[in-house]
Amino acid sequence: MTMIRSFFAIVLSLFLVFTNSLPALAFCGFYVAKADTKLYNQASQVAIARADDRTILTMANDYQGEAKDFAMVVPVPTVLKKEQVKVANPTIMERLDAFSAPRLVEYFDANPCEPVREYKSFGLPLPSAAPAPIASNRSREQAQGVTVEAQFNVGEYDIVILSAKESGGLESWLQDNGYKIPNGAKDLLKPYIRQKLKFFVAKVNLEKFETSGFTKLRPIQIAYESPRFMLPIRLGMVNAQQAQDLIVYILSPKGRAEVANYRTVRIPSDVNIPQFVKGEFSDFYKSMFNTSYDREDRNVAFLEYAWNMGNCDPCSADPLNPDELKQAGVFWLEQPIGTNKPQPIWGGRRPMPMSSNVFITRLHVRYTRDKFPEDLMFQDTNNQENFQGRYVMQHPYLNESNCDAGKQYRAGLPKRFDQEAQTLSKLTGWKIEDIRKKLPTVNLADVSWYDRFRAYVR
Amino acid sequence: MRTPIDARLYQIGFLTSFLLLGFLTRDWQLHIEVVLTAIVAALTTQYLCLKLKNSRNLLVPLPKGDLGGSSQFYSPMITALGLSVLLRVDHPWAMAFAATIAVLSKFLLEFNQKHIFNPANFGIVCAVLFTDEAWVSPGQWGESMWYVGMFLICGGLVLKKVGRWDTTIAFLSFYFAMEALRNVYLGWTWDVWSHRMMSGSLIMFSFFMITDPRTIPNAKPARIIWTFTIALITFILRNYFFMTTAVFFALFLAAPLTILLDWIFKDDRFDWFNLPSAITPEIKSV
Repeated sequence: MTMIRSFFAIVLSLFLVFTNSLPALAFCGFYVAKADTKLYNQASQVAIARADDRTILTMANDYQGEAKDFAMVVPVPTVLKKEQVKVANPTIMERLDAFSAPRLVEYFDANPCEPVREYKSFGLPLPSAAPAPIASNRSREQAQGVTVEAQFNVGEYDIVILSAKESGGLESWLQDNGYKIPNGAKDLLKPYIRQKLKFFVAKVNLEKFETSGFTKLRPIQIAYESPRFMLPIRLGMVNAQQAQDLIVYILSPKGRAEVANYRTVRIPSDVNIPQFVKGEFSDFYKSMFNTSYDREDRNVAFLEYAWNMGNCDPCSADPLNPDELKQAGVFWLEQPIGTNKPQPIWGGRRPMPMSSNVFITRLHVRYTRDKFPEDLMFQDTNNQENFQGRYVMQHPYLNESNCDAGKQYRAGLPKRFDQEAQTLSKLTGWKIEDIRKKLPTVNLADVSWYDRFRAYVR
Repeated sequence: MRTPIDARLYQIGFLTSFLLLGFLTRDWQLHIEVVLTAIVAALTTQYLCLKLKNSRNLLVPLPKGDLGGSSQFYSPMITALGLSVLLRVDHPWAMAFAATIAVLSKFLLEFNQKHIFNPANFGIVCAVLFTDEAWVSPGQWGESMWYVGMFLICGGLVLKKVGRWDTTIAFLSFYFAMEALRNVYLGWTWDVWSHRMMSGSLIMFSFFMITDPRTIPNAKPARIIWTFTIALITFILRNYFFMTTAVFFALFLAAPLTILLDWIFKDDRFDWFNLPSAITPEIKSV
């Protein structure tokens, strides 16, 4: 993964919200582009729908290799039976991703000489999805201390649930059964065994995969009840040389979720950036993420989105319908729990605002072994405050405007462009000279010197 | 003779700076109206309770010469700031509830002229349990050593002023040891342990909440037993019940134990106005 690392002085984006004030009318803006998980080469996506102790966990992967070589070992809190495991719709992660991705929005300045406002919107969505598995082969016998708690087939996967007494036994069981376990895995299996976790081991059943008609492996979805609200990331780091990106979508009836044992930091948002970024929004977001990641000492989780799933503003994709929410694991739609307001009982068959009790939190964690020694622990909170990664393009009015208001307006543009350029430079670490070259030019020939001066000191 | 500065003023200063620091550098979504609500609610409750207490001449008299003096409001101020640093709410009313009940608990839940619960702790636990609006973000400080160091220094200053540093040391030692044993048993590398221990929230708790001299046992051996109990409950709640905010509940559960321990180990009750002279030479001269 190429990372553009920058060490420019950083000023909190929050500050810029106050300095670059937007026209009040244009509060929400229009969605034009999104920065979804397609940006990252090695990104896992996990959706966790959780209410009280009940959890439905969906793990998506963009495994690129041969299906026969695919295998995954995931520590899980309880023994899972066949009915607790299923294969999820492959598009569901893409939907969650598209709905919650950081977004670029645009506004258009009106002709200052005739104060009528006009809006246009463009849609250039990028494609989506992505994860990282552990590789291996076949299964057969038993080894000391390892119990096969359950063994079944779901969709294109052969699944074994193991419990073990010793990590050595588990390691040799896996090896005897044809799983290629990376060196050093044994030491990492031990803490999970001792915490009485079980092991969910999945590999691809080639016959079923070939007859399924799918070209890619579908996400696996598991359901369990446990007070543990965590994701084991240590196993995935056994051999990893480079940072791995993990996008976690947490769906809760209560409110925003956060990481309990690392800091959760909001990604810079609500800032005005130059218009040319529209053409390179993916690069912008990647650079900005890298800069934020470095600035925060690489040991935080970034909050990219937190919103009630009943709506969005602006929408980067349609909100998920009740059926899609169910596919994503939301199991409480029919039986509202937690902080739900009681549904009105009058008015007959009025459609229920189903998704109003689903709150989505999108966390982006880029982790490495040295900065993330401990598995991720989460907690859901009652925080209903919305947040989104949102970047604003304010298109200037550059056509002829010869009235006094028009001249004053044009006189103010260079300063505004430069502020946007500086913001962009601070966020991404891009060179300010390079950015300035791409800024639009403003004709100031007919603008008086004092209008220019006034605009400058304003 | 110079009048010494009340240790609680230091504490107010430190808590204010932590609040600002968290707001400015740690990306806390802190709302000024919530902080103001906490302060107003705590001070008002304190005022009303004092008023009620005096006019009816109930219970114990207030410390001599200090009826309604400004120092009566140090404690609710500390409570309000502590709540602002630790508790997060969705609406200000939840903070008002927490601050009010925290200060009320001092007046209503007392035994032998000592309040049973640490007010801020009581407020946090009640707000988390009884409102659907409040939570604690244990990850909010991160684990930078720098912050840990600052807590150690600032907390150390306050504790030295009031002579209860032994609670912090005892609690952290017991808790660190328990977690270390678990780490060895599980076979985690040591960076897992240090990551857990360096949590700014844990350190903050150990220095500013567990040390409140008005709610902890008076005698040293009692305090050691008491901190061991809190460490043990924290350890169990965190590792076996997976509670991310285990420390606050541990302190809440262990608080009533103080009564029993004070009865077994007799010692002088702590008084902000009669500090044990051996520890604070500065105050000794007064």
